[in-house]
Amino acid sequence: MTIPTNEMAEALRLALLRADPKLSRFDPLPRIISHDEFATGHCGWSQLVGNYEDDLDTMLPGYAQHTSAMLSTLGHWDSGSHGGMASSYALKIATRPRTGAQNVAIKRHTFRHRGRIRFELYFTFKPEASELKLGETDVRSVGFLFDLQAGDRDGGAERVMPHLRFLNALDGDHVQRWQFKQQTTEFKPVGSGDKTLSHYHLAPEGWEDLPGGEQRLCYNEIATKVNWTYLRFDFDLDTMKALDFQCNDRRFDMSGFESIRIPAMKNLWCMLNFCLFAETDTDKRAFLYVDSVCISGDF
Amino acid sequence: MLPENITSVVSRNETWTGTAASEPHEAGWAREVVIFVRALKEPKGPQPVARVEISPDGMRWVAEGTVTAMPAERDGIAVMRVAHFGNWLRVAADFADGSQSTVLVTMHLKA
Repeated sequence: MTIPTNEMAEALRLALLRADPKLSRFDPLPRIISHDEFATGHCGWSQLVGNYEDDLDTMLPGYAQHTSAMLSTLGHWDSGSHGGMASSYALKIATRPRTGAQNVAIKRHTFRHRGRIRFELYFTFKPEASELKLGETDVRSVGFLFDLQAGDRDGGAERVMPHLRFLNALDGDHVQRWQFKQQTTEFKPVGSGDKTLSHYHLAPEGWEDLPGGEQRLCYNEIATKVNWTYLRFDFDLDTMKALDFQCNDRRFDMSGFESIRIPAMKNLWCMLNFCLFAETDTDKRAFLYVDSVCISGDF
Repeated sequence: MLPENITSVVSRNETWTGTAASEPHEAGWAREVVIFVRALKEPKGPQPVARVEISPDGMRWVAEGTVTAMPAERDGIAVMRVAHFGNWLRVAADFADGSQSTVLVTMHLKA
């Protein structure tokens, strides 16, 4: 019997992936756009800076609070460095110690094919261990978003921003559910010219529960023990729709999911941005740690 | 592979008064850092000495020993170089009543 070439190629691709200890824990689509392991550096995860013109005071407060992501060994006062899954290092996104504070790291690309993309990562989160308590309701949320825009020749082009967050706690209530967002804030001109606008899409208003999105994650038993969690999100750049979402052993129905959609902007064509964020629910820093990220596409 | 080398903006357009400090920055991978403190606006009042602080846990801070005068005028830049700091870094300064400075603090870290 002859095996079709495409089946052979796929079998070979999978065999190579599964034999590679660095990639075997991911399920990438045929093209790997980036594979980030933080023992090799920051891998392009930079600070999300807000727009401004003439004066930094024009930056919206939501962005002004952001700081640079760090390479962390998850060092703890009581037990030393926790380390990552395959090296000592993880990317760390830390908020300020003020209730509701957020921080965002971003990776900025563009795309060359409008099709399925896959975002996979291993992550964990904890509050700063400033008290001898579990602190399971100190982190408000961790999450991710994409910032996408169609190509300059596409009809009906939009800027599309799928957002998903794990709402761990809100005002001390241990909520533990996935949420999405369709609302942003009103666009405001920044500075004295007409070239720059800004909106704060991570404003606290407008989050909606993902249907069936309740999930209890492994949190462990003191503030300095963490466990890595797998996450996968598939999105179609052609239809600009979410296709699939998995966190650890749970897959979620994305038929009720929708993204923030706004008219295309004049300078963001083929934009393919990825953001990771953390929010704190108390006057204590919240930390999102990311062991590794694999972004892949079907092209 | 080239050794890691990164510029981190740890305080941007923050107005420092009283006992002020940048957010904790974890950089145990780096062997050296050059820290710049730039005054984005005209500082008000007498300007204090800025100091590098290090920490065993990112929560409890100890003066490392490196100090420099805060910039005395808008766009003035203070510089501190440190090559032995463990894992945690921040910049701190104590402003007298009525004194302040709006700062841009950047850390230039190298493995």
